[in-house]
Amino acid sequence: MVKNITIFTTNTCAYCQMVKKYLGAKGMSYEEVNLDDHPHRQAEALEMSGAMTVPVTVVTKTDDSQEVIVGYNLARLAPAVA
Amino acid sequence: MSDEAKDIPKHDVIIIGAGPAALAAAIYTTREDIDTLLFERGVVGGLAAVTDMIDNYPGFPDGVDGIKLADELRKQAERFGAVIELGEVTAIHDEGKLKRLETTSGDMHARAVLIATGSDYKKIGVPGEQEYYARGVHYCATCDGAFYRDKRLVVVGGGNSAVQEAIFLTRFATHIDLLVRSTIKASDVLEHELDEYVKQGKVTVHLGTTTDEIIGKDKFVTKVIGTKDGKKVDFKTDGVFVFVGLMPNSQFLKPTPVKLDEIGFVITDQHLHTTMRGVFAAGDIRSGATMQIASAAGEGATAALKIREYLEGRLHPVQN
Repeated sequence: MVKNITIFTTNTCAYCQMVKKYLGAKGMSYEEVNLDDHPHRQAEALEMSGAMTVPVTVVTKTDDSQEVIVGYNLARLAPAVA
Repeated sequence: MSDEAKDIPKHDVIIIGAGPAALAAAIYTTREDIDTLLFERGVVGGLAAVTDMIDNYPGFPDGVDGIKLADELRKQAERFGAVIELGEVTAIHDEGKLKRLETTSGDMHARAVLIATGSDYKKIGVPGEQEYYARGVHYCATCDGAFYRDKRLVVVGGGNSAVQEAIFLTRFATHIDLLVRSTIKASDVLEHELDEYVKQGKVTVHLGTTTDEIIGKDKFVTKVIGTKDGKKVDFKTDGVFVFVGLMPNSQFLKPTPVKLDEIGFVITDQHLHTTMRGVFAAGDIRSGATMQIASAAGEGATAALKIREYLEGRLHPVQN
């Protein structure tokens, strides 16, 4: 079960919009961290994902385990939020 | 039709892809009440959506953000009833009047199919490229550029995309080395714009320079080794953005009767009809395409009109 979802995004990232669109279509809420507005949180995204890219989607489950999905990867995103 | 086949969802048209060609086609088909489903495995809007600024799409005198153009095209198609499914088509089977598509949402039938899967940026195929992917090696400036505030960058390529994205990246990076294997092949407008950044010292263009290896330390990129005039040259950098041309998204078509050219682009006749009856192609995926967004949209409209003729039994394909 999903407890919460955080997505790291930027203003110009089309793949970020796809992740938001997918979660929106599933009726799922999420917190968005826009790195253009909050550049100081870039290190956090990098630490979570190990990658210098967005979107980074962090799915926290009710048992507090976390799944980190780098990029717009439906094959990983869909089961993570199911 | 078997009972099993009757259970498979059926559409008049399935469009594979949701870039400008696909969305333009969907605007035309849905306005004529032709039931249309689009499948998109990546980003709606295709490469146009991940392009910073589009200056040559008609109707936008000041240019338009790629992401905005993609969104407007999507809204227009959806207004007339197009449905975009986020998923992938993995195979097409010819079952006579119907085509059966294997998709990540299960099998689907369509009376006609439009392949508009477009293309993706090529890789250069040098040591370090794969190893440092997303940790210093990137193919999407609008996605990953923000990670390079106040850093040095290398951009590889000399075409429109490379120059456009290098210019975009100047908003983050302190300096960009543009490594161009031969000469700049971007439009005059982009080349003149690039010259301004060269004059400001924000970009240095290295013509006749190959990119040979990407070197890193502690998991991140530190330099690129290139060759110019037969001599090895080091470019210190924090990241590398690669824009060296396009490769077609046609892998899934290889086992089908849809004929591809030697690179993998789909061959069509003048009706945009492929070698599989009832299957059409438009946009960047089509052999001979001009790789322009305006052309892709035009081809999408043409394909939709030809599909309508085909569905009405009025089209007589040239190749089969």
